[in-house]
Amino acid sequence: MRGRFGSLHGGEMVKSLGWGAPGLWRGPWRDSPDRDAAGAQVMGGPGCPGLAELREPPQPSVAGSGFSLRAKYGKRLCFPGNARALASWPRHPENTVGARPAFSMNSVSPASVQYVSQDELRHSDGRKLFNPRAGSQDGSCNGLFPGGAQSGQPSEPDEVDKIKNKLLSAWNNVKYGWTVKTKTNFSKLSPIYLFGHVYCFEVEEDVERFQKDFASRIWLTYRREFQQLEGTLWTTDCGWGCMLRSGQMILAQGLLMHFLGRNWTWPDASFTASLVEMDPMKPVSPARPESTSLQQLPALAVDRGRNPWGIWAPLRPLSPQELEKERSHRSIVSWFADHPRAPFGIHRLVELGRSSGKKAGDWYGPSIAAHIVRKAVEGCLEASGLAVYVSQDCTVYKGDVARLVSGSDGRTVPDPGARRKAVIILVPMRLGGETLNPVYVDCVKELLKLELCIGIIGGKPKHSLYFVGYQDDFLLYLDPHYCQPFVDTTKENFPLESFHCSSPRKMAFSKMDPSCTIGFYARDGQELDTLCSELTRVLKSSSAKEKYPMFTVTEGQAQEYGLAELCSRFSQQAVQLPKRSKAKKASSDEFVFL
Amino acid sequence: MQTLHSSQSVRPFKLRKSFATRLEEVAGIRAKFPTKIPVIVERYQKEKYLPLLDKTKFLVPQELTMTQFITIIRSRMALNATQAFYLLVNNKSLASMSLTLAEVYRDYKDEDGFVYMTYASQEMFGCLLPTAQGKLMECLLKT
Repeated sequence: MRGRFGSLHGGEMVKSLGWGAPGLWRGPWRDSPDRDAAGAQVMGGPGCPGLAELREPPQPSVAGSGFSLRAKYGKRLCFPGNARALASWPRHPENTVGARPAFSMNSVSPASVQYVSQDELRHSDGRKLFNPRAGSQDGSCNGLFPGGAQSGQPSEPDEVDKIKNKLLSAWNNVKYGWTVKTKTNFSKLSPIYLFGHVYCFEVEEDVERFQKDFASRIWLTYRREFQQLEGTLWTTDCGWGCMLRSGQMILAQGLLMHFLGRNWTWPDASFTASLVEMDPMKPVSPARPESTSLQQLPALAVDRGRNPWGIWAPLRPLSPQELEKERSHRSIVSWFADHPRAPFGIHRLVELGRSSGKKAGDWYGPSIAAHIVRKAVEGCLEASGLAVYVSQDCTVYKGDVARLVSGSDGRTVPDPGARRKAVIILVPMRLGGETLNPVYVDCVKELLKLELCIGIIGGKPKHSLYFVGYQDDFLLYLDPHYCQPFVDTTKENFPLESFHCSSPRKMAFSKMDPSCTIGFYARDGQELDTLCSELTRVLKSSSAKEKYPMFTVTEGQAQEYGLAELCSRFSQQAVQLPKRSKAKKASSDEFVFL
Repeated sequence: MQTLHSSQSVRPFKLRKSFATRLEEVAGIRAKFPTKIPVIVERYQKEKYLPLLDKTKFLVPQELTMTQFITIIRSRMALNATQAFYLLVNNKSLASMSLTLAEVYRDYKDEDGFVYMTYASQEMFGCLLPTAQGKLMECLLKT
């Protein structure tokens, strides 16, 4: 492997950074010379200027800069917006060292190469976003704010540019590290659940069906170079918008359910089915799994060499129905465009977050994200047949949901003429204090098995993910921490590829942050009834021994509980306790009588 | 979601008072008010968004439901309806709002006789930067 794809050093370097088989990534870009250069950088192969030079003695200055930057920046290691996607680097350890690779998929993140051309490094990252001097002088975050940052010094531009480019290519190596890692292993024996559909990888068709299903989900990630967020200098959400992206994804899944149904798949969704590996425990073929996949890659590269993404199958003619669905699919994606006029774009969501006291650059939580999504749908004509209900205090009041879907604004009697709406129910929760309480794991699994479940927005601590299913003790997710350039969705036939992800990833339940929001979708009254009874069943059964469910579904409306009056009835003054023998209490030590 | 002024941490009730004192306190109050439940409500140690309650010790009618109790606590903190607020008992979220305080007390009464509840909102999510050592650190990104 080394002989072919990477020098000893390169390989080790890459390994030491926690990446798997970098060489695999050479394949798809062999045909295009300019991509090849960029590709090599990402991979750290033999032709990799970034990594190779970084570690080779003749260029100590580059390596030195790299480390000194780290040292100087210290805690404020502030690189250009997209470089902050570096956060992705040490993740997925559970994937890299999978126990027994029964089945693996090539984790292709298409953009890993597409966006790392030298050209772009220089113009967009190098000049505008990244300013090593400014950074090393004052350690400020200027570089983060395009426009706010000073450009590089005009003197000695060549040297500076050179170093910048080298550093940037190294950064890109790190930054795109997670895309380079090639495999996520899934058990062949256990069922895998994706939005209520079950697949078993022992059956070969299931592998393909699963991949197709997974790659059809809408994947929304950090973006850069979009129009400035109003009143700010932000042109990217890299580093802070991940929860909003997860919120967008759960809404996108709801919209797919609403307009296209759960069984819809993207006809263009393709994947790397040829990379299914043999189980190494069953050596039926003399070829080792490693070499098998390596041999297959050149073939892939030839097949798809023309396509920069390297993974998407060529279009086939679509039937009229399919065309219609494809149009819907495109519309849905375009609603999430990073443009002020897009109803669910980052601009709109940030604006709606203001009333919750959030602004661009802030971190968001799953509950705030849910309310932002609710408000975005409320004011959106495109999704006028859809309503979003966000529960309070972990309680879904059926009466309130019914009122919402009836199309009336509440208060008054429902207008019989009003069109009944479909509903997305979002339930923000906190499943423990510091860490996820393991008592909830079974219930989370059961909920992810429901076909009407549209996933969970949450993550691991401080790192938002969109959970879409599970297998055994691992959650499957879509990760928004991947910085892609803005795509203009107003153009006809804008590329859809960056809105879909072909590489499923997984994370142990034990790493899940207790703060999350789970979502469900119901098209009509009948589905709503089904959903409520299913939820009641799951919440009750999984908590049979456990009287304290994740959340509850209750008859009636929140108002009926007369909480307003209750609050006024219970006065707030602390009642002085009758003098007790050893009373020496501070004022905060008295009982408050309710 | 402004960070609140009262971010100073208070030592947990259990650390402020000895077991014997707490036991005695409960015995005293239960003798006087046998139908009321002594509840300790404290802020989660790492909570960054919710204010500190002015009081810690509550004596609650046993027939009060969790819905009612949470509403009272919410209103004491002047939270709006969309603000995330969770009461945790024994690291579990109290989501079954129809439960009465008596039931919660029966299930989660501490050995000192109080029932301890922790309140927390939700965590926020943003990015982390890995350092060379593989440690994670927050990206300081305030404008």
